[in-house]
Amino acid sequence: MNWAVEQPWVLAGLCLSLLPLFNSGLGNTPQPYLSLLPADNVSVIISGLLRLLAMAAITGLVLGMAGLHRTEQSRERIGHGAHIVLLLDRSSSMDNTFAGQAANGKEEAKSVVAKRLLTEFVAKRNNDLIGVAEYSTAPLFVIPLTENKQAVQAAIAATSTPALSYTHVSKGLGMALSFFQAQPLTGSRIVLLVSDGAAALSSDDEQKLRIWFKEQQVRLYWIFLRSAGSPGIFDQPQDSRDDNAQAMPERYLHQFFSRLETPYQAFEAESPDAVKQAIANINRLENLPLQYLERIPKLDLSAHCYQLATLLILLLLGINFLKVKR
Amino acid sequence: MSDLLKFDYRTPCLSVALFAMLILWLRPMAVQKSPTYNFTVIIDITRSMNATDYPADTQAISRLEHVKNTLRQLIAQLPCESKIGLGLFTERRSTLLFEPLEVCHSFAEIDAAISHIDWRMAWAADSNIAKGLLSTLDMLQNSDSQIIFITDGQEAPPVNPNYRADFSTLKNKAKGLILGAGGLAAVPIPKFDEQGKANGFYTVDDVPHRSSFGQSNLDPSQIEGYNARNAPFGSAAVKGTEHLTALHEDYLKQLATESGLAYARLTDLAALQETLQTGSLAIEKPVATDVRWQPALLALAMLALIYWPRFFNLRRRS
Repeated sequence: MNWAVEQPWVLAGLCLSLLPLFNSGLGNTPQPYLSLLPADNVSVIISGLLRLLAMAAITGLVLGMAGLHRTEQSRERIGHGAHIVLLLDRSSSMDNTFAGQAANGKEEAKSVVAKRLLTEFVAKRNNDLIGVAEYSTAPLFVIPLTENKQAVQAAIAATSTPALSYTHVSKGLGMALSFFQAQPLTGSRIVLLVSDGAAALSSDDEQKLRIWFKEQQVRLYWIFLRSAGSPGIFDQPQDSRDDNAQAMPERYLHQFFSRLETPYQAFEAESPDAVKQAIANINRLENLPLQYLERIPKLDLSAHCYQLATLLILLLLGINFLKVKR
Repeated sequence: MSDLLKFDYRTPCLSVALFAMLILWLRPMAVQKSPTYNFTVIIDITRSMNATDYPADTQAISRLEHVKNTLRQLIAQLPCESKIGLGLFTERRSTLLFEPLEVCHSFAEIDAAISHIDWRMAWAADSNIAKGLLSTLDMLQNSDSQIIFITDGQEAPPVNPNYRADFSTLKNKAKGLILGAGGLAAVPIPKFDEQGKANGFYTVDDVPHRSSFGQSNLDPSQIEGYNARNAPFGSAAVKGTEHLTALHEDYLKQLATESGLAYARLTDLAALQETLQTGSLAIEKPVATDVRWQPALLALAMLALIYWPRFFNLRRRS
């Protein structure tokens, strides 16, 4: 139990709760010399009780005003889910349709399709921690791994602004992997790469990525949004002279991912439906047991304090009417 | 005297206290107008923002670092229900990282995003601020969020006055503020190598000192070595001070006037807060506020009155 108050300075008012110790609150009676009367245990007890009631009432009011609450707690639970980093391609070709044309009224741009389907995907993943990274020529850190779905949705919504420049996938992957560094290793860790192109990796980058993927035990899903007529990730070169990373970066990137020592799966999507299918697949696959912290929100106790105070004041008033007056 | 003694003020006091508690339960919340904000902050991450001209504890920190620190302090102090969106500017345009998020609920995420902003996020190296501002206004013209565009006004390469950005269609479409970052004295711009290590400063030979795009704005007869097709800007090498950077306040004020935004200089948190409060950027929003403390205070006063110690008063009078 962690108790706290909103306004600590109000607690100074607790001094007031000592007042009933100095004044019984019963008033002076016209019969002046009480010492003449024999000591009466019942009276002492009743008078003490009345003082206690008053002290409790004052304490209740002060604690209520100070905003007593139980702080946010977290409880460890086992559920199904994953830690997912969405790595989104913001290269300018994402603003074209699957047919490779500028988006018009009939067909959606790839970025719009990705945005819509990812929004649905995130809404379905209740227990997951989700982070967002983007890349174009340079990687962009957007939202750290978080259970705050609103933040993730706001970041996905922002991808509808015009896309940026080129595709530098290795830096983006490095950024995405860095998200897991401070996270406990539980459940599955996933990088979900959504892109419409690839770039050749330098051997230096390849080596670093291979080590990082292994160290962080990250599984990789690649949703490749293939435009009509562009090379696919499963294409075989027709001419052996084209069989190099510069001519067929998609194929080579896929091969590199396949050689990683962590699980990897690629989805080549040539239409919005195929993207939907791929995301549904991932949604189904990634439900490993996950240790996660369930948040128990802050519990406001000031209402209870006020309730107590109200009750006690009512009681004191009632007792006050019992007094014999002359 | 005896009347005073006989008068029992306790009953009325307790009744008032009980009545106050009744009000407390009947009207726990009141709708009060309180200022909230809805900003989309666009931060310039071009190279000149690396210039270190904000004094800090031990050594000067870069403009970008100062902007990040100030913003992080600012969001910690914004009233709840305020919203902050974040974007970056480089080259000729800006991009949005996330749409405005409520600052109390999403504080950790916004804070992490701001702290991770780095000049290396720049997707291209030019710094055409007027065009960047234009693209920002265009992007946010239908948003109810207000723009805070933070830049030092250093155009790189310099802009040809013949081809200035035209704000006429977007003027006054969006409300907001241009925040000028940097000092007024020119300082060198740090250079970094491929690994991100500091590697000296840009020198006079590293940067173009005048625009060489399109038609020259000068009278051709005044240009040395002028050739309409091959050398519209003449043949003379121009050396200037574009390798140094200072806050171009006049230029930013001019951009602010053209685009219908306000201008302020970024110094410290207190000044920024004052600018935000006075600059009619606050949105008066009805916010349900807990007012239970008011009747509770009354009840407390009544109880204190009843139990206030009277060691001497009555006795002395009698």
